[in-house]
Amino acid sequence: MTSYSKEVIADLVAGTLPWPQTRRVMSAYKDDDRFFKYVAVLQDRVGWKDPILLPVSDHLFICQSGDERVTKCECGHSFGDYRKNWKLKAAIIVRNTEESLREIYPNSDIPDPQWMEIREFICPQCGTMHEVEAAAPGYPIVHDFQPDLEGFYREWLGKPL
Amino acid sequence: MLDKPASALRIRERLIASERLMEETGCYDGITELQLRNQDPLKFETLHTKLRAYCVSAREMARRISASPGVREVGEMVVAIYTPEGDAIALSNGIMVHVHTMSRFIKWMIRNGYEENPQILDGDIFANNDAFIGTVQVPDVMDVVPIFHSGKLVGWAGAVCHELEAGGITPGGDVALAQERFTEGLFVCAEKVGQNDELRRDYVIRCERNLRMPIYWVLDEKAKVASCIDMRESVKALIDEIGLDYWMQVSKEFIEEGRRAQLARTRQLTVPGIYRGHTFYGHVTKGKPGYQPLGDPDWLYNMPIEMEITTDGKIIMDFEGTQPWGYHSMNCTPAGMDGGMFVTLTQHMNFEGLVNDGAWMATELKLPHGTWTNPDNEMVATATSWALLLPAYGVFQRLLSRSFIGRGFVEEAFVGQVNSPMIEMGGTSQYGKLFGMAHFECAAAGSGALAIKDGLDTAYVGWNPESDMGNIEIWEQNMPMIYIGRSIVPNSGGAGKYRGGCAFLSTWLVSKTDHLRLVTSEHSSRVFDNGGMCGGYPAPTCQKHRAVRDSNIFELAEKRAPLAHHTGTNPHRSELEVRLQGEHVTMEGPYITAPHKTGDVFTHSYNGGGGYGDVLERDPVKTAWDVENGFLTREAAEGIFGIMLDEDEDGYPVANLDATKRHRSEMRAARLAKARPVSEWIAAERGRVEKADFAPEVKKMYASAIKLSSRFTREFSDFWNVDAKSIFMPGAKP
Repeated sequence: MTSYSKEVIADLVAGTLPWPQTRRVMSAYKDDDRFFKYVAVLQDRVGWKDPILLPVSDHLFICQSGDERVTKCECGHSFGDYRKNWKLKAAIIVRNTEESLREIYPNSDIPDPQWMEIREFICPQCGTMHEVEAAAPGYPIVHDFQPDLEGFYREWLGKPL
Repeated sequence: MLDKPASALRIRERLIASERLMEETGCYDGITELQLRNQDPLKFETLHTKLRAYCVSAREMARRISASPGVREVGEMVVAIYTPEGDAIALSNGIMVHVHTMSRFIKWMIRNGYEENPQILDGDIFANNDAFIGTVQVPDVMDVVPIFHSGKLVGWAGAVCHELEAGGITPGGDVALAQERFTEGLFVCAEKVGQNDELRRDYVIRCERNLRMPIYWVLDEKAKVASCIDMRESVKALIDEIGLDYWMQVSKEFIEEGRRAQLARTRQLTVPGIYRGHTFYGHVTKGKPGYQPLGDPDWLYNMPIEMEITTDGKIIMDFEGTQPWGYHSMNCTPAGMDGGMFVTLTQHMNFEGLVNDGAWMATELKLPHGTWTNPDNEMVATATSWALLLPAYGVFQRLLSRSFIGRGFVEEAFVGQVNSPMIEMGGTSQYGKLFGMAHFECAAAGSGALAIKDGLDTAYVGWNPESDMGNIEIWEQNMPMIYIGRSIVPNSGGAGKYRGGCAFLSTWLVSKTDHLRLVTSEHSSRVFDNGGMCGGYPAPTCQKHRAVRDSNIFELAEKRAPLAHHTGTNPHRSELEVRLQGEHVTMEGPYITAPHKTGDVFTHSYNGGGGYGDVLERDPVKTAWDVENGFLTREAAEGIFGIMLDEDEDGYPVANLDATKRHRSEMRAARLAKARPVSEWIAAERGRVEKADFAPEVKKMYASAIKLSSRFTREFSDFWNVDAKSIFMPGAKP
């Protein structure tokens, strides 16, 4: 069975594993013990103790915080109950003018702000940009992911949550 | 008295029985146990490898018969071997989209009584390019031949090539101007086009008299027939070796194993739950010549996708809430939607083990009737359905990638494919002959970023995992234009910790013709139809066309003065305007105008991929390399990524790490100062929603989605705490 050390997984997640080795990881049979090593790597990275249950983005994690399961930023800011859309508790910058869109697209044609805007969802504590939505004006904010956390742990990982 | 095939059980009955068994047992054809695999796993695996080798070898041989640069250069072809019921057992590399579309074609013939008339006999060749029977679009022409052994139908061999000319209202294969089926070109609707291993002469004549460039289609037909015969004979020889009973059983077990492997792979790589995403597509045709006033000239489509991964490993994709079909060429049939799903799965999940129709059986597509994904009118055009398929399956790739990130397989997370607009042409060639061609260098867009590295530059499209732009010299042999530039477009990848792959732009001089029709089928610049992920930005929107008619380029060349080789980085004044005199044209969306002639200059830009992660985390050293090599501009490095660059003694950019740290700290503070709570934004925006204070195309999009989907209506109303129906459909019944 394929398996990698925690150090290799840490380098892979950080994007620092040398390309030839990364390529081999991509081409090989997948390592079945990846998830818990991955979580351990991320747990070492964050500066807080709440156990990570599931990563949901580059710097967002569902974790056990006391009796609650919450979505948390790597900086420690909590966005509340993991079953609710964390974006509703985030800070937002909306680019819906030619000038603000031009800041990100300095050399190309840009969308028509009447048809499309960019929404940047930001951690109100550390300023990390967690997600960017490109949407028509008036389009509801999307709830990206509602994991079946219980089913995942119970049926796929074979471990209690 | 005509001969009829000897078969104890007619294949139509067998197909129905197979589907019933699947329904009853949940396993393909009722195969609840992989007996042959368990008896001798090595033999089992070896046989499948052999079948795959037959397919790969047949495709490579066929590519050398083809005259089309699309097939020869870019590999726009796939072949596969099927069960008698039409389920794929093994396939080649190439445009794997079509493995399941061919399956639909075979099943369609079986269901429609082809055994009786026109009969299915050894040596027959059947062809199809009707998307409602089983393909994606008119240029995707497929040929299948039955495989008989001992008087019994034991399988099918099939091949698809994407044709570069389909004889439609505008030249090329992806007929941009088609607004109904009747303008899409030459249709071959599940026809018997050959007997005794030979194409019928009357079929070839029909092709020759209905196409602008029949040599592509006709030689591709011969290439496909050769590959099918090659696979058929290989399979027959294999059956001689292993026995007919073994073949009939093992071919089914291959598919059932493929189904189980897909479910297991999903359980291994992903996380169960509900994933959501969306993208948009904007089309602008107002005032353009040739468009019939059948629908709105300018329109906006939303493409919301909800993906459910169940705990048994099934992937269900639901397109509810999307837009109705329209009088344009971008509608898609369920066969096309299947194809998009299949080619995505083969790239992202089925990278080991058996790849066949079993993978497709472990998924489910929910395609709302009446929408562009499943039109309730079979007369609609689907000639450029990729225009909507590519953005939609780019969303699917991001949804899957979210699950890979959750599970820890970050090396598989990928921001997704993008639209890659095609340029098509026709008229008088440089040889003075009638010609027509789709230019397939579009098969090399920028890819979305990965979660661990930048995307591929000019090297990826979703529909063909073996992406290739082809050689300039080959393209120049086939069209009356010569390249005066083919260059990376700086900043064309979406910004992020890992940027999207960059796109390229070609610049041509029209040469040795007085009549060159240039047509493109792309989306407008109005909206992003790609996306970023985890804080990365979408890649830029589709770029406008820039052309110069009656340019002074020959005069400049005579004087050895500088020419324009690209459009440059100033969006307000292109390099063409700086360097060339003549009639300057800038056009958004589809390019449809009067014919060009020698001396005109034309540009066409492809698309880059979306970015991954927060821009303020991008590696400064890698960015300096990007600036040095033209993938990013210095302006973008500083303004978007916060990376300050100095110059070394040779004038090359080097990252100033201390200055970068300071600048990024300021940018982060500015970001926090500018941002406001989402709750505040929603409260403020609600007023605009209540007044429907949107552009007409946006309002129309909401009204259409609300009309077609009660779920969209409910979700929209709940989010904004409004009555969506009364806002966008005033006067409609509640």
